[in-house]
Amino acid sequence: MMTLVIGGAASGKSEFAEGLSLRFSGPRVYIATMQPFGEEALARIQKHRDRRARMGFDTLECYTGLAAACDTLPEGASVLLECLGNLVANERYSPDGGGEGAALAGVLRLADRCRDLVVVTNEVFSGGSDYEGDTLGYLRELAAANRALAARADQVVELTAGLPNWLKSGPTD
Amino acid sequence: MMFVTGPLFAGKRDYVCRAMGWTQEQLAARAVWDVQYLAADAPDAGALAELADRLAGYEVVIATEVGGGVVPVDAHERAAREAAGRLACLLAQRAETVVRVVCGLPQTLKGDSSCWSI
Repeated sequence: MMTLVIGGAASGKSEFAEGLSLRFSGPRVYIATMQPFGEEALARIQKHRDRRARMGFDTLECYTGLAAACDTLPEGASVLLECLGNLVANERYSPDGGGEGAALAGVLRLADRCRDLVVVTNEVFSGGSDYEGDTLGYLRELAAANRALAARADQVVELTAGLPNWLKSGPTD
Repeated sequence: MMFVTGPLFAGKRDYVCRAMGWTQEQLAARAVWDVQYLAADAPDAGALAELADRLAGYEVVIATEVGGGVVPVDAHERAAREAAGRLACLLAQRAETVVRVVCGLPQTLKGDSSCWSI
């Protein structure tokens, strides 16, 4: 079962995705993609880590090279990946990144490799298109990955103010 | 309390007037809007919750979604956007009904709005 969770800033994506993951059996693995640059990132990482620790997730830090990291997962794992926006940026801009397309390839391999997968991604496409540098290139890649994963996913849900709007399928119970 | 959210210029206030049968004057007296701007002034999570409690005293609370663009480079803008999103989550928790308006069209995310004319 694969679920894609999308939403804007502070829309309740993380809490909702965690709640979904808790419904699955199998060893729980949280794949964290945010590189700890600066105090703000560290504080955010700590906030998410504290919450996960209470839920029985093992954390796998993976900034780049997700496809290779998949081989270290336990059999039948239930994986929560957060988030695709960071992963695309890391693969695209980090010196050791795999470049355009690497993030999507990694997540597709992950989907093959684990039993249940919840992917958190970002709605960052409603602020216009007047950006400098490679921002539009980044947005195009992230949007293409979102579309590809939404096509592959069994369920897709958009979060607004912490509330789900199921765009594809939905919970059966 | 009914919480109404949606993008900029989506017709949120018009929707509320239609749904509640209110005039603009009644809207001004019984609803509050643009609350996304108030969130940035809350110094911490406790103050944000107090703000949500206070706003929940209105019959209708309206917030414009501001978290759907590229993450701002400026730290204050980032924090303000996060606070606005958090406030919306808190208001949705306190609301009996949550409606998202896009292109003037309402979608009920929580509760039941079927009793209204629109």
